[in-house]
Amino acid sequence: MEPELEPPQLQFRSAEMGCAFDDFHGLISTPQVTGGSSFTALLELAPPQAVELLVTEDFPAKQPPPPPIFPTDIGLIHRASKFSVFASADNSMESNTILSVSNSIPVKQEELDADSRRNSSSPAGSDQSLKSGKRKEREKKLKESNKKSKSKAANDDGEELPYVHVRARRGQATDSHSLAERARREKINARMKLLQELVPGCNKISGTAMVLDEIINHVQALQRQVEFLSMRLAAVSPGIDFDLDSLFTVNGSSNDNSYSGIFAPPICTEGQLDGARQLQLQQLWHCDELHQSVWARETDTSNFIAPANSLLSYDSTSANSGKQVAPRCTTS
Amino acid sequence: MAESSNSRKRRKIDPDSQTRIQPETGPTRWRTQAEQQIYSSKLIDALRHVRRGGHGGVRDAADRVLAASARGRTRWSRAILTNRLSLRLAQINRKHKKAARPSAGKSRPRKPAKKLPPVESKVKVLSRLVPGCRKVSLPNLLEETTDYIAALEMQVKAMTFLTGLLNAGAAAPA
Repeated sequence: MEPELEPPQLQFRSAEMGCAFDDFHGLISTPQVTGGSSFTALLELAPPQAVELLVTEDFPAKQPPPPPIFPTDIGLIHRASKFSVFASADNSMESNTILSVSNSIPVKQEELDADSRRNSSSPAGSDQSLKSGKRKEREKKLKESNKKSKSKAANDDGEELPYVHVRARRGQATDSHSLAERARREKINARMKLLQELVPGCNKISGTAMVLDEIINHVQALQRQVEFLSMRLAAVSPGIDFDLDSLFTVNGSSNDNSYSGIFAPPICTEGQLDGARQLQLQQLWHCDELHQSVWARETDTSNFIAPANSLLSYDSTSANSGKQVAPRCTTS
Repeated sequence: MAESSNSRKRRKIDPDSQTRIQPETGPTRWRTQAEQQIYSSKLIDALRHVRRGGHGGVRDAADRVLAASARGRTRWSRAILTNRLSLRLAQINRKHKKAARPSAGKSRPRKPAKKLPPVESKVKVLSRLVPGCRKVSLPNLLEETTDYIAALEMQVKAMTFLTGLLNAGAAAPA
């Protein structure tokens, strides 16, 4: 299988020296280990920043580094990737980063974003899968430099790994194009699987087109439902102002009791309430607590749109005590 | 050595990242009861401010509250929140000027292209359905769709609950 190799730091060390490599042994024999910062800390940084950080750490005498000159020799890169550390599961993430950082060959951006997100969202899962022996799929041969630039990958919300690494499986073509396609396909298939689980009834369907059909139908159905529900809400909504107490009274009987407790506090603690409205709400609650029956008697919804405004003026004059507002509303 | 320290650091980070990442990101966050409650309360609050009439006013408010609950992590939520401004401008322009429809930018002359691959056409349809995802690559589009579907389901659940609640609240005292 893949030969067990020296820790990835060596490789990175040699790469970021920036000198041209004629011999692969130059990669192996470079001694250094990075200083205090671990490579996992580098995972937080975007690759160019990470490279800069490391370069400045190790060569303080140098000027603030120009973008380091990485080997562009394809053959060397292929050899390097072949012999790099793929075997150990624990180091896989780090070696991914290191390889990526050290070899900064442009990769397609969507692959980076998608894979970075996937890597970030399932770090434990990927570790386990690695340990379970799926090493073949982890590393990718380095791409040719004529792929699209990945400059946007650094700007994206990629505090995770920015590079994709897929290993060529046994018996498959190792052409970089097919590798790229295969990596892309794998990403797409992984997403499709997630979607299939989400959309009911998609598990049995096979074939991308059919699954996409189902997904489209599902999204359209959900949007139609939202539209329909919003129409119904619009019909009911004029009576919303006084309905806080109705929510309290009704919720005693409904099965979603968890809702009742939270309707009062979150609305009150919303930061966007201005003073008058907050006063109004508090007034409603005060009245509700003290005179719930009185409040419940005021059932006419149309009367409550005007009194809402009068409530505001009324509150501005009176203190925020538990006064009985209901009788005042009925007179207006 | 450095290797072991790296793996130790890795292991230390992992539980944190796991607990931090799983509940916050990913489409599973829409499933929690807490999220639904937060959405319902915010929706009720937003519904008070809905301007009278206007077709789809409630719908837009509901979508905006949903996008706000996404915390800006997804593309569709950002698109919904930013679209409001441009749509509002368009409405004003339409009312005031009654200008000719600005169709020049939208429906460019449809040259027959080789759009035969059915998967490709479906992908385009899907990208039109998800807000703000027209020029997004396929894997990102699928990811956005996942989150969008989960969010929509939560929205439907919350709105169903709200309508039932408000209907019961309006009907019972009367």
